[in-house]
Order: sequence, then structure tokens, then C-alpha cells
Amino acid sequence: MADQPEGIVLRRHRDLEGRQHQMWFRRGLLALIAIVPLLGLFNVFGQRPTDSQASGPGATLELSAPTRARGGLLFQAHFTIEAQRDLQNAALVLHPDWLQGMTLNTLEPSPTEETSDNGALRFEFGHIAAGDRFDVFLQYQVNPTAVGKRKQWVDLVDGQSRIASIQRGLFIFP
Amino acid sequence: MDLVLRAIFLYFFIFTLTRVIGRRELSELAPFDIILLIVAGDAIQQGLTQDDYSLTGAVLVVGTFAVLTLLLSYASFKIPRLRPILEGEPIVIIQGGKLLHRNLKRERLTKEEVEEEARQQQISSLDDVEWAVLENSGKISFIAKS
Repeated sequence: MADQPEGIVLRRHRDLEGRQHQMWFRRGLLALIAIVPLLGLFNVFGQRPTDSQASGPGATLELSAPTRARGGLLFQAHFTIEAQRDLQNAALVLHPDWLQGMTLNTLEPSPTEETSDNGALRFEFGHIAAGDRFDVFLQYQVNPTAVGKRKQWVDLVDGQSRIASIQRGLFIFP
Repeated sequence: MDLVLRAIFLYFFIFTLTRVIGRRELSELAPFDIILLIVAGDAIQQGLTQDDYSLTGAVLVVGTFAVLTLLLSYASFKIPRLRPILEGEPIVIIQGGKLLHRNLKRERLTKEEVEEEARQQQISSLDDVEWAVLENSGKISFIAKS
């Protein structure tokens, strides 16, 4: 039989001696790579909305928004206020993280007043009658450079008295 | 800064992916593979530069890729033990006209694919082949019986 080509070592390149671990290393890496889209299917990387609810004396506050998002994506935060009693000056007080590294494209309906409340964002909506439901939509885009945890804290207040509070987080993947 | 970090992460991700997928899959570019490559390139570009259309951004990304390519090349040159990891190793698939099925299985190669490759190199029968080696590039080198 003819000699093997130059540069070919039969024990290594034909009999694969010392190369068995390479296959398992490759399979392991492949499994790691395959896990990523699998996790994506289970919403690990966002951005399916998660619902949260809080009740207080006279009103209920619901929030539907993703708790996981990725840089550059558009998403919506939907607040629902259900008043069991008259709210004279209902307002949503948002932690500043709601706008940290994110662009607020629109906020509907427009608040009657927007202000800063001790560092937080305060959106006032005026009177909500007992039995009424009031919806607020915030449309966002995550800035591409924003990465990490954000506080998705929101308080429903009537004037200066807090009625309900939701405290949860948003994680932004790069 | 984040642009350079993204470029570094994606460089090593693509590098790992190409090493894991296997050399044959990457060397054979059927129309489907070409479309898939273009789509993958587009997805990578969007993840990399996102909304950055600046010349500075492009220079940062391309510069990072160039530096990493040089570094890996230098590491492979200076440290022989790294070569199998960085470049892969050839594998003998035919000896004396006989297919080495264990090695074919390892590379997910069929007899038909080897025959096709042989035909493209004007070899009509694998019996005429003394050695066939699947190279690091994914190409098969055939050495005819003398």
C-alpha cells in the first residue's frame, strides 16, 4: 500500500486516536447553541406581556407589559384602572426606570398633567367615576444600548393618597 | 464601547458555530444554503450595529474583526496545540479504495457525497482512489492510485 500523503498521521487522522473527545466537545457546544432558541420559545428572552394586578381601597390597577425585552424592540405597557369609588384626581406614578434607556413613543390618552413627583414620573388623568374603567397605553422602544434590569414600579394614586401599587422588574437583553 | 463588545461576542459566536456545524455543511453551498447565509448575515448585522449608521461604527466593527482574526491566526501559528481547536484537523476517509465508514459517520458524510465530489474531480470510481482526505476547509482531496 502507498505511503500516506505528507502531513497525514494515520494514528491521528485515520484512526482518530486522541480525537474522541472532540466529538463530545462539539456535541456539547451544539447542545448549548440549540438551547438558546429553545429558551426563546419559552419566552425567556421576551417579549410576551405579563399581567400584574394590585387592589386598594376603591380601585384596582392592572398592568400588562413584558417583563423581558431586547434592545431595539417595540413594546406596549397597558394600564387598566377600575374604579370602585370616585377618584377625584387619578394619577399613575411611574418609577423613572420606565424611561431609563427607553424611548416613549406615545402615551394615550394624554394626561391632563405630567410632572416629576419626587423623582418619579407622575401622569394625572383627572376624575374617574365609580364603576368606570380607564385604560392607558404607553408605546415604547428599547434603546439598543440599554441592557440590564429596570424597575417597573407603578403606583395608582388619587391626589396624594396611594391606592394600589405594582412592583416588578423588566430585564433587557442585549 | 458596546459596539466593540458586540463585535467580539458575535465574532466568537460565529467562530464557534462554524466549528460546531461541521466543515462539509459549510463547504457545500446549495442555493438554500446561500439564501440561509444571506439571511444569517443580515440578522447578525442588525444585532451588531442596530441603529448605528455611522462611519465610526463601521470602522469599530471591521477593525475589531480584523484584530481578532489576526490574534487567532497568530495564536494558531505560535501555539501548535491550539491548531486543532482553531483550524480543525484533516480526516482520512478513503484508504486503498476503501471507504472508512467510521470516519464518514463522524463527519456525517455519505458514500454518495464522496462519489459526487470524486466525479467533480474527474474520478469515475472510488476504486481508483488511494487516499481521500477531508480537509479543514471542507473540501475532499483525492490522491489516485499510481
